[in-house]
Amino acid sequence: MRFIPCMIAVVLSACGGDLTPNIDLTEPPPDQLSDMGLMAWDGNAPVYAEGVHTYTLNTPLFSDYAVKHRAIYLPEGTSASPGGPADVLDFPVGTVILKTFSFPADLRSPTEGVDPKETRMMRRTEEGWESWPYLWNDDNTDADLAVGGNVSVVTFIDPDGESRTSQYLVPQRNQCSECHQIEQGEDVVMAPIGPKPRNLTASGQLQTWIDAGIVTGLDTASVDGAVVTEGLDIDALSGEELNHAARDYLDINCAHCHRPDGVQGVTSQLFLNYENTNDFNLGVCKRPGSAGLGGGGLIYDIVPGNPDESILAFRMETEDPGAMMPLLGRSLAHNEGVDLIRAWIANMPADDCQ
Amino acid sequence: MRPLPLIFPLALVLAACTESTLTTISCDDVDGACEEFTVEDIDALIDRTNTLEDGLTLILGEGDFMLDNQLTLRGASDISLLGQGMDLTVIDLAPASESQVNGVDSVGDGFLIQDLTIQNATKDALRVEDSSNIIIRRVRTTWSAGPSSENGAYGIYPVRVDHVLVEDSEALNASDAGLYVGQCQHAVIRNNDVRGNVAGLEIENTQYADVYGNMATDNTAGIVIFDLPGNPIVGRDVYIHDNTIVDNNRDNFAPSGIVRAIPAGTGTFMLASRRVHLSNNTWENNDSVAVAVLSGLAIESDPATWAIQDANVLGDVDDLGLMTGDGVTFNFRTENVLIEGNTFIGNGTSPDTSDAELRELGLLLGLLYGGGAVDSVVYDGIAESGFSTTDGTAVSNDNSVCIGANEGTSVVNLNLAEVLASGEVPTLDDVFRPAAPFAPYDCTALPGGAVVLGELPAGVSE
Repeated sequence: MRFIPCMIAVVLSACGGDLTPNIDLTEPPPDQLSDMGLMAWDGNAPVYAEGVHTYTLNTPLFSDYAVKHRAIYLPEGTSASPGGPADVLDFPVGTVILKTFSFPADLRSPTEGVDPKETRMMRRTEEGWESWPYLWNDDNTDADLAVGGNVSVVTFIDPDGESRTSQYLVPQRNQCSECHQIEQGEDVVMAPIGPKPRNLTASGQLQTWIDAGIVTGLDTASVDGAVVTEGLDIDALSGEELNHAARDYLDINCAHCHRPDGVQGVTSQLFLNYENTNDFNLGVCKRPGSAGLGGGGLIYDIVPGNPDESILAFRMETEDPGAMMPLLGRSLAHNEGVDLIRAWIANMPADDCQ
Repeated sequence: MRPLPLIFPLALVLAACTESTLTTISCDDVDGACEEFTVEDIDALIDRTNTLEDGLTLILGEGDFMLDNQLTLRGASDISLLGQGMDLTVIDLAPASESQVNGVDSVGDGFLIQDLTIQNATKDALRVEDSSNIIIRRVRTTWSAGPSSENGAYGIYPVRVDHVLVEDSEALNASDAGLYVGQCQHAVIRNNDVRGNVAGLEIENTQYADVYGNMATDNTAGIVIFDLPGNPIVGRDVYIHDNTIVDNNRDNFAPSGIVRAIPAGTGTFMLASRRVHLSNNTWENNDSVAVAVLSGLAIESDPATWAIQDANVLGDVDDLGLMTGDGVTFNFRTENVLIEGNTFIGNGTSPDTSDAELRELGLLLGLLYGGGAVDSVVYDGIAESGFSTTDGTAVSNDNSVCIGANEGTSVVNLNLAEVLASGEVPTLDDVFRPAAPFAPYDCTALPGGAVVLGELPAGVSE
């Protein structure tokens, strides 16, 4: 099984000629996304103002096969450096991150018939990160601030050519914090999830940012880059590569909560962050405290060698909303991700946990 | 001081009577910022909950608020969410059944929720997390299907809250725990009704809990107290008194989790718990066992899984004398338990032997007593230094399990580890059943002093 190539590829950002960044951190976010002057939608893809950098993640978070366009704007003359919360880059005040979720009619042709659904905007103020959902209008001419989120049905053809229907949830503003909150000392702060140095190395992207001066204080040689899942052939991986890819997948898809400084996930004592080295906390022969429906009648999070008996695989596969993980952002199973995690568990030396 | 919304005395009196259909509350009754919402205003309500400012009161009118996403309250303190009564204001999550959402989900200090029902949540009905000074009053959580493994996990669920009061509420039909107090400090849980859940009322990894006046009936287990393996908050000082735990014989319908191991017919168990005082409660007609005192090793036998990294341990533990290892603390022991002044009637007459693999304890009790009534207090005796089936002076009580004067008590030490290891079907000749006054369990006070009571949230006087 392969991860589907070209889920987005790097979008060649056609510059929106009439876009001029207009970021005022002293005001609440504008009611219309266009008022920020950072992006617009043109046909099947976004266009961005000059100075807005598009980027991809080595291993992206799965969101019901939504195609994601990521872009970041840093105020002129500023740069990001290592040391932000949860291993993410520490971005300067005034930074804006835009992540647009869209659905092509047919994911086998992901650049045609693309309909933007929502753009999630994070902005870095003096007080920290804020997160705001914008919902695209029917004509894709603009996106409206939608603090209450939205729930709707989305239908598309998946990469295997099958029709899929998603109960697509645009999170309420307050739901953003369910994934984006992190403990920092005594405080709970908001933080982006994706832009960790190790998740930005694909295609020389991080080096490009360093060369452009928007990332400083970092040597790419010291970065243990996450596996690039685009086009990944699971069957061809060595055991070590499989472990790396699986841990990278769990890190981006699960570890925003399941990490020792996570707010939502710490209760479970299941730590799926890449840095965790404790097998019990990784789920090996670990009973969940209170998985509820999510346990699927199984006993342990991971039974080495036996994905069918592992709750971790079950919770990724199931489409029962009372049982599935992650908590938010999917209603469908990510077949390729499930295959990766199942292969990883199957490859572990067998242990019945007795 | 927490600025409670000032509810006029008349409304307060009426609100105390939840059966009354005359109960109404409006913003006229409230001092401070307040907005009212009818069942027609759901979009406005959702938007408002996402743009909160401190001290806002949200009042919901009568009727069914049909929501396709949870109410998410974040980013502000002293928010009040008030309905017109448990029978009159209903937040119904049925339209969100395809989404992974709770019912009402709050993070914020000083939250007050009262006089409403939350039903049919996909996950938890009322989840309050990481907050201080929380009041949950006259809130019903339920699922329309009745008890079902398809229901959400928890009903009323404060987790990692310090100072929480849950009173006069009803928690029904949850597939895990109806009223679940998890990883809290200072919890007062009083005068609630828990029915039709797997675990009725659960005190988990919680410090200083005062649990009284509650009615637990028709659950798989009535009131349970335990610590989870590896959880950084070590439970302590749990005072369970003046509760009624009756007819908790519902077949276990938990889809998973530790509660799935509970035999139907369990009144109360404590597991990996310490400084627990059970007083003036009534256990009646719980068919497996009235009270079980269990080591954490009874369910998770590898001590390593109970190790908490010292750097991660939260809350007050220094005086507990917990077992320690190299940089870790262990919380699997159940110790310092006082059971006095309670009434036991007709329990243990028909233990749940339905699942030998999952619910070993039920099967064991069934085999051991062979149709006779199970002793009202069952102690597993795990990790005690001395044991004899007949000579009480040879039986240790290292864990300070104290059985004072109770009505209708009898006690057994199962010597569980050895009984299980033998692989033989045990008989009553293999266990220790002391006669009153139950030496060596005849201590009458908790070592280290009486349990410390849970404090009420700020602004609540009694």
